[in-house]
Amino acid sequence: MRATPAVDITGLCKAFHVRRPRTGGFAARLQDFVRPLTQTVTAVDRLSFSIDPGERVAFVGPNGAGKSTTLKVLAGILQPDAGDVRVLGLEPSRQRRELAFRVGTVFGQRSQLWYQLPPRDTFALLGRVYEIAAADHRRRLDALTTAFGLDAILDTPVRQLSLGERMRCEIAASLLHAPRILFLDEPTIGLDVSAKAVIRELLHTESARHGVTLLLTSHDTADIERVCERVIVIHRGRLLWDGTIADLRRRYLTTKRITVWSEAERLDLQLPGVRVLSSGAYRTELEVALDVASVGQVIDAALAQSAVRDLAIEDAPLDAVIRALYVEAEAGRAES
Amino acid sequence: MRAAAAAKYVAFARVATALARRDRGELYGRMLFFAVILGVFSSLWRAVAEAGMPIAADPKLLVWYLATTEWIILSAPPVHTDVQESIRRGDVVCRIGRPVSYVGAAFAEALGLLAVRAPLLAATAWACAFAFTGWIPSLTSLAWTLPFGFAAAALITAMYLWIGLLAFWLEDVSPVFWVVQKLLFVFGGLMLPIELYPRAMQVAAAWTPFPAMLAGPASFVLRQSGAGWLMLALEQSAWGGAAALAVWWAFRRASATLTINGG
Amino acid sequence: MRERSNHLAFVSALLATNLKAAVALRGAFVIQVVFMMLNNLTFFVFWWALMRRVPELRGWRLGDIQVLFGIVAAGFGLTVTLAGGVRHLSRFIDDGELDTLLAQPQPVLLHALGLRLQASGFGDMLSGIAFIASSGQVSWRAAPVVLLAIAASALVILACGILFHSLTFWLGNVDTVARQLWELLITFALYPEPLFGGGLRLVLFTLLPAGFVGYVPARLAQRPTAALVVLTIAAASAYLLFAAAVFERGVKRYASGSRFGVHG
Repeated sequence: MRATPAVDITGLCKAFHVRRPRTGGFAARLQDFVRPLTQTVTAVDRLSFSIDPGERVAFVGPNGAGKSTTLKVLAGILQPDAGDVRVLGLEPSRQRRELAFRVGTVFGQRSQLWYQLPPRDTFALLGRVYEIAAADHRRRLDALTTAFGLDAILDTPVRQLSLGERMRCEIAASLLHAPRILFLDEPTIGLDVSAKAVIRELLHTESARHGVTLLLTSHDTADIERVCERVIVIHRGRLLWDGTIADLRRRYLTTKRITVWSEAERLDLQLPGVRVLSSGAYRTELEVALDVASVGQVIDAALAQSAVRDLAIEDAPLDAVIRALYVEAEAGRAES
Repeated sequence: MRAAAAAKYVAFARVATALARRDRGELYGRMLFFAVILGVFSSLWRAVAEAGMPIAADPKLLVWYLATTEWIILSAPPVHTDVQESIRRGDVVCRIGRPVSYVGAAFAEALGLLAVRAPLLAATAWACAFAFTGWIPSLTSLAWTLPFGFAAAALITAMYLWIGLLAFWLEDVSPVFWVVQKLLFVFGGLMLPIELYPRAMQVAAAWTPFPAMLAGPASFVLRQSGAGWLMLALEQSAWGGAAALAVWWAFRRASATLTINGG
Repeated sequence: MRERSNHLAFVSALLATNLKAAVALRGAFVIQVVFMMLNNLTFFVFWWALMRRVPELRGWRLGDIQVLFGIVAAGFGLTVTLAGGVRHLSRFIDDGELDTLLAQPQPVLLHALGLRLQASGFGDMLSGIAFIASSGQVSWRAAPVVLLAIAASALVILACGILFHSLTFWLGNVDTVARQLWELLITFALYPEPLFGGGLRLVLFTLLPAGFVGYVPARLAQRPTAALVVLTIAAASAYLLFAAAVFERGVKRYASGSRFGVHG
């Protein structure tokens, strides 16, 4: 028997009725008041997917695609217009309070931490918000402090912490009440490279260790690759792709990138299906269209010209793959 | 060269006028507040007249007196917050080097705001005062209040600007603003002409700039004439000079501190 | 019973955190309190100076003015300290702070109100009590009634704040208007009721209940009767319940997603 899915959405629809102000002076303003112009904008259109407990899923899409709307529906903040939504077996719109005890949220742009106070005080308050028993609270806090390395900063006022330190506290705060599922909206935004690495590591470890389901939106594809195994791509409110990252790559893999470090200063490779991205200073970067040429052909051609010191073969970067998806979707729309 | 400098200041003033128009929500709120306050006080002064007014002042005059003082004080834009913001953001550091004096520019901007608020609020003041008393004081006395009232509002604005400059040394200038504003209300005779205060307070008030800012221009209405205009002009000029000095000195001290700290 | 006691624990935790945050910058805290007291004092100077010349105005003496002023000041102080978030409700609704609260298990309104504390409110409370105590109109035995009066005043002030700011759910960000209306409420409440004519008086006991913020609680404090106690409690409860209901309605509308602007 299959366990209850962490998230189960069937046919979710959500549209916004936006008031569009008329242009003009006072008369227009009066008309706006008496008979406002409303425009219906479809944010989510018959979206369906299911997430098992413990999965780490990335939720990807361009701005305005409906990601935030979907997350808000899952958190119980917005009511769906149609469709069946269940999170941890509960209906978010009807059982919001019950669900809130089991769900954690991290908004990259917004902070839960009280600015003037040390994180410890926010954690104490959250203990009361989530009605955590004192002994449990102490245990959780100790565990999280160790796991996240918060010892040094637990008693420093938040306004004196760096962005990376704040984010660590933010995520620890969201896990304090041991939620079964964590929603993250742009958790690494604004962080430097090392801070991002730390956060990704923490998220992956916590989730793997305690079976916490993660649903993460991000514009940083490294977030997606390092933390998640599965990606859901959404575009104009519709599901474009739902599968593992590896599958996504394979399905849309049409090019590979080859970097050659050679003895000769430059390589002159002119093969069909091979595009030279850069060449010079003993280093050549090539893009190979796999339907025309093969990696083997390119390497042979390079060896024929010069001894090769080093070689790197990479998949097309993930965002190129995702962009290809969007382009395909747009083309599909244009045709239909 | 003078014309070019003047043109710069005018440009700043024009920007401020646009700003004022954008903040009209707050201005309409002020106008409504005006109507309410005048309504309450016209009722109050009538009640005082019933109870036997000890001073030979018609309640109608006192309502117009209040209309004038409120007009002056509501017209003066609270520039201390903008100045404080600007200092916090570090804008001032950039502007220290510019040919346009920062203080001059800030003042020009404030005058621009004043230029939009003052006429609107004057119209509101007179309309409400007339509505509640059914009477207008002599047109000459009203005419006298205009230039002196405007000058007074400019003086108050300069004072607010000076308070804003204190942000170089203070974390938050709002408490200073509140206290100074309250001193202005009391010793400037906002709601009650200074003649009605106890003797000791009248003497104290005379040592402050506040009577020249509120009671001075408003008393033309009480006296129903332009009497005392010369004295008031001298007072306002003297305090105006003092204000300019205070502002210039504050800015000098601040720039000195900044350059010592390496900008 | 278990649920209610948890709400209490939550609310006290919010208050404790707020106090800690306010006192974290000790200097600023003291300044806010002291300066608010000075602020109130200067307002009172007007009445003191006037009543030296005119001791009685339509039945009101300086002591009566002191009680009126004291109740409104203390009530206002109580509101902005215990429920300081009310002043920022429009902004919470408009900038999405409400989303964070909706994702948490505690009652949204209670949580929102408790998110802020204005330190100057302590200055208002202290000066309010000082005015009442020195008015000569209220005996120490009447202290419980005075506290009831202050609480009732605070509840009506709070209710109006919630109502005015809840308009944001329907009209978009009305922060400025709501603040001005709230200021208007307090202004009216500070002046003796005999100054107002019939039509206005009706408004001041219904749409803009300054009468229940100042006049009625002040009467209660000076000349308590059973009828006044009932009236005070009834009015305060009615306004607060109504405000809470309007807010809940607003949240439902918010959840249905019809607002200005699109969110992706």
